[in-house]
Amino acid sequence: MATDSQCAASGDSAVSAFSIFLMNLWVYPLLIVWTLFGILVFPILFSILKLILQWPAGRLTRWFIWMYGRGWLLLMSPFVQFRREHMNVMQKGKPYLFVVNHLSFFDTYCMGMLPVFDVVFAVRSWPFRMLWYSGFMRLAEYLDVEGNSLEDTICRSKRVFAENGTVLFFPEGHRSRDGQLQRFYSGGFNVGIAGGIPVIPLCIAGTDRLLPPGRKLFHPCRVRLKALDPIDTKGFRDENGHVRLRKLVKEKMSEALEKMRAEED
Amino acid sequence: MTEQEVMELIDSSLAEEFELERAEMIPEANLYEDLGLDSLDTVDMVIVLEGAFNFKIREEEAIREIRTLGDIHRFVLSKVKQHS
Repeated sequence: MATDSQCAASGDSAVSAFSIFLMNLWVYPLLIVWTLFGILVFPILFSILKLILQWPAGRLTRWFIWMYGRGWLLLMSPFVQFRREHMNVMQKGKPYLFVVNHLSFFDTYCMGMLPVFDVVFAVRSWPFRMLWYSGFMRLAEYLDVEGNSLEDTICRSKRVFAENGTVLFFPEGHRSRDGQLQRFYSGGFNVGIAGGIPVIPLCIAGTDRLLPPGRKLFHPCRVRLKALDPIDTKGFRDENGHVRLRKLVKEKMSEALEKMRAEED
Repeated sequence: MTEQEVMELIDSSLAEEFELERAEMIPEANLYEDLGLDSLDTVDMVIVLEGAFNFKIREEEAIREIRTLGDIHRFVLSKVKQHS
């Protein structure tokens, strides 16, 4: 005979399975519609806003991508609670290097939670091969860190910083399979030091429950994006500075993520 | 520098850069399959070796042939000999 706790557990799992079913029924079609809508409307809105605002094409495209991300957050909001924390460390119109831990394909969409839109993503080559996104990524002047040399990436990043834009790296290079921080690549830290701009570590938690690597179904969850205090890169210009900076950032992110996980448990 | 010192400097520099376990850093270790490096690391590896030995190797064709830690040892030792 089933005990009360077994009945409650099976009831919870039925509710959970139903909410997962409902979420995917809602999210997938709307995500496709939202993406198609964006692709179709973009050329018209882009032309109009370009005339009115007179912004460079890259900056305007980055604004569109940020709005697309925000729209995605809105579509997800019936099932996902998004929370951003400590974002007041960012001063608007000031260039930064953002470094973010990587848990899910949808981490990039969650960057719509950032209070700034002028963010150039530095990514590997494969996202540039996604037909429906690659044109936008090129127009937004995203950086292909795998296809270009480090010198080229630094040079392009400096141009972004000169226009008070921000560059964003995923220092792990890949999505984590176990939720723990992986080894950090040095490239992003070299960019921050060469550009002489502060690094802001961003810690994201929850997207590994939303859609981890290898899973197709979204799960309801809570996603948190927390900014840590900016780190001045001026003291890291020596030969091994990028290694020290990388270790410091990783240590701070590791501590913050551990606290975030403990708060969720 | 002796050959041993050169190899030690290579290993310590790469271990520091790529957070590698020294116990896994044997000459036969494949950089990609055994030590878990990838194409992005190749760029960093060149920068690390240039910094450690104060020479320029990024244009060298032979870098593309490097597969194991032993290949790096041999490549750097030959460059060090050329420069001495």
